[in-house]
Amino acid sequence: MEQIVFYSLSAVTLIAALGVVTMRNVLHSALMLGVALMGVAGLFAALGADFLFAGQIVIYVTGVAVLVLFVVMLAGRESDLHARQTNEKWPLAVAICAVIFFGFWRCIAPYAGTPTRTQPEPSTRAIGKLLLSDYALPFELISLILIAAMIGAILFSRGGSAAEDAP
Amino acid sequence: MLEHVYWIPLIPLFTSVVILFGGKEGKDSKMPYLGIAAMAWCFLQSSVIFFQTLTGRIPLLEGKEYFLYERIPWLSWGPNLKVHLGVLIDGPAATLLFVVTLVSLLVQIYSLGYMYDDKRKKRYYAFLSFFTAAMLGLVVSSSLLILFAAWELVGVSSYLLIGFWFEKPGPAYAAKKAFITTKLGDCGFYFGLLLLFSYTGTFDLVMLKSHVAQGLLPLEAATAIGIGFLIGAIGKSAQMPLFIWLPDAMEGPTPVSALIHAATMVVAGIYLVARVYFIYTSAPLALGAVAWVGLFTAFLAATMAVTAYDIKKVLAYSTISQLGYMMLGLGVYGYTSALFHLTTHAFFKALLFLGAGSVIHSVHTNDMREMGGLIKRMPATATTMGIATLTIAGMPLLSGWWSKEAVLHAAYSHNWGMWLLGVLTAGLTSFYMCRLFFLTFIGEPRDPHKHQHAHESPATMTGPLWVLAMLSLFAGGLLHYNGLFEHLVHFEVVGHGEHAGGSHAPAFLLPGAAIFVFLLGLGFAYRLYAGSLKTAQGLRDRFEWAADTLERRYYFDDFFLWLVSLSDKLAAACFWIDSRVVDAIFVDGWALVVRAVAAASDFFDDYFVDGAVDGMGTLTQDAGWGLRKLVRGQVQEYLLYVSLAVAVFATFLISR
Amino acid sequence: MSLSHYLVVSAALFLIGLFGALTRRNTIGILMSIELIFNAANLNLVAFNRYLHFDALHGNVITLFVMGIAAAEAVVGLALLMAIYRNLNTIYAEDFNLLKG
Repeated sequence: MEQIVFYSLSAVTLIAALGVVTMRNVLHSALMLGVALMGVAGLFAALGADFLFAGQIVIYVTGVAVLVLFVVMLAGRESDLHARQTNEKWPLAVAICAVIFFGFWRCIAPYAGTPTRTQPEPSTRAIGKLLLSDYALPFELISLILIAAMIGAILFSRGGSAAEDAP
Repeated sequence: MLEHVYWIPLIPLFTSVVILFGGKEGKDSKMPYLGIAAMAWCFLQSSVIFFQTLTGRIPLLEGKEYFLYERIPWLSWGPNLKVHLGVLIDGPAATLLFVVTLVSLLVQIYSLGYMYDDKRKKRYYAFLSFFTAAMLGLVVSSSLLILFAAWELVGVSSYLLIGFWFEKPGPAYAAKKAFITTKLGDCGFYFGLLLLFSYTGTFDLVMLKSHVAQGLLPLEAATAIGIGFLIGAIGKSAQMPLFIWLPDAMEGPTPVSALIHAATMVVAGIYLVARVYFIYTSAPLALGAVAWVGLFTAFLAATMAVTAYDIKKVLAYSTISQLGYMMLGLGVYGYTSALFHLTTHAFFKALLFLGAGSVIHSVHTNDMREMGGLIKRMPATATTMGIATLTIAGMPLLSGWWSKEAVLHAAYSHNWGMWLLGVLTAGLTSFYMCRLFFLTFIGEPRDPHKHQHAHESPATMTGPLWVLAMLSLFAGGLLHYNGLFEHLVHFEVVGHGEHAGGSHAPAFLLPGAAIFVFLLGLGFAYRLYAGSLKTAQGLRDRFEWAADTLERRYYFDDFFLWLVSLSDKLAAACFWIDSRVVDAIFVDGWALVVRAVAAASDFFDDYFVDGAVDGMGTLTQDAGWGLRKLVRGQVQEYLLYVSLAVAVFATFLISR
Repeated sequence: MSLSHYLVVSAALFLIGLFGALTRRNTIGILMSIELIFNAANLNLVAFNRYLHFDALHGNVITLFVMGIAAAEAVVGLALLMAIYRNLNTIYAEDFNLLKG
């Protein structure tokens, strides 16, 4: 059962990811991204990280992916559908990826056959406690970063008129 | 009074600064009165000190030979090398204070009349005050270093005062001559000072005296130091052979001559010898040199005075001669007699100069051949000058007689040959002084026009003359009375008692001989100069070579000029060698070598160093242009490079 | 399932993301690829936490932070993209050559 879940989720994730990088239509790529992110969310669930599963769905699938879709539709053009979407250096990229994968393989190999020993248990309460005790400072910093990002995003997306309106 | 004795030099010093920088310059400047007032205060203080010490009201410090000795540290170069500022008042210092302030005060009052219409009156009085301050500092200082500094300041002020009328070439030349000649003597003084310090490590007179008394100064060193100090004294006190500056220094204003060249500055040399007398008594050879220098100076200067016709030159030679007497007195263990003669000489020589100044002021000439018969026109001047002439000539019972007798007595006790020459000099003194008096005041007027315009000087000038005349008449007798002066000024010579080894003369011989030569000189002078000058002129024509020699001052001037020209020639030769040989070989040759090296260095610099620098620059530039092509501004390419590097290094690290 | 299974999936996801970042002409595509790379890292973190430190939750917490950072990055990146698009009227990465030497 566990294996069926894992392999199917992995397959969905990787195929969707390949779709993201190979689809000619950016709109399709964005949809595929949503699928891939959901696959990762499923893997989180498989690993017993229930809170992260929820977080992944809320932040990525309904936040980031939808945002990307908006941008695609704002900045997209008719001509994009007929233009080539990958550049001419893709064989080199493939080679690089192959070499790096070889390296990764050497790193991963020692962990083959490391099973987990306990059953997963609900982690939301524990994460909440950690965030407000040990990780209180990074937590506050993250909130600052998010505010800064928000302000920056508003500033950039207001465009030229913002500069003219500025005192 | 005594404990504030340091005021005495400091007040005139301060006054001179005030006079120099304050007030208005001109004929009717009020500044001279300030100088006179300051000097009057100093005189008052000095005379109180003098009379209190003279009468024993202020006792000697217990077991010591001085009245006051105070000092404060000034410079320190280490635990044993210290220089102190201080005052040391003993008998001679008290006497000198009195003499210097008295003469300075009288001269300043006299100058009110003499310099009546001079347009630089303020400056004149500033210099006078400065000079007096320097001399007083020399007198009271307890340290030989301060004494030396004051000594040099005295030299500077004499330069300023002799050359006071610097517009005229004569005074300017005379000032230079006086300054340079005395500096020649100062070299000896300086040498002596350095030697003394290297042996004893102190400049303090009291400490020096105890050092010498303990026998810490070897005989050879004491002799060398004594000779050095003697050379300094020879320069300052115009002894043979450095006396040549003093006759020329008569170019200055006559009151200045009275102040500097009769009563104060020239006695600085005598005073120096007296201050370090303990060194001389421990070095008989140096003391002998003092005696012989003094004796010959006295005699030669007296002979030179015989032929001079310039009234001030005669007085100058007479000063040199009398200073020689003082040196002689010091040299023959007549410490008291020498300082006694110094005191009385200050009175009558100041009087003579001031009187001569009065005459010159009146007839506007220095040449005695153009005077004559002035007694009718200037009775006060003539009377006082007559008193002074008799005093210096050695008229019995006047001041000069007492002191000169004392010197000659000391000489007789030491060596009767010295005494003989001394008595001969006394006769010459009598002759030339009476000659001066007769030529100037007695006889027929030789220049009727000048005689017509002659007049008596104002009271500011005759007043000081009368004061000095009274002192000339009575000071010697009063001071000699009851051994007052001897009590104040004396020096115990160890191993040389008052009469030890001296020969006793018959009681009548010494005074008798003195009276005899006095009358002889007076008679000859009357015979030759009182009436017509024909006999004198005949004698002069007959012994022209002798007269010439005397007028050329025994060729001492020529000797020194020859020395100067010799050194000129030597310098010229050195210059030739320097410019032709040294410059050619070392300077120019070295320059050639340096230029060659520089050219090689320049070549190397241009082609190798600069080449390397430029090459590096060009290389960097070319490399930059080449590398620039690689950067195409494509973000994805950068990422590609990064991934490539990561891939390669990952492979390398993992497959290691 | 052992740890290495998850790690292989994570590595594959990473490499796909890298491949996309290197080859996509469209800047939106590059941003999407970077999101994939983030997810690969997150997956790694959670997997290690589950298998090697099962009694702690630090990996999960850090994953949360990474998500926050990634969200901020996506927002700013897309805003920049819009600004660039407005100015240059293109979203193809090879046209952004202002840094050309």
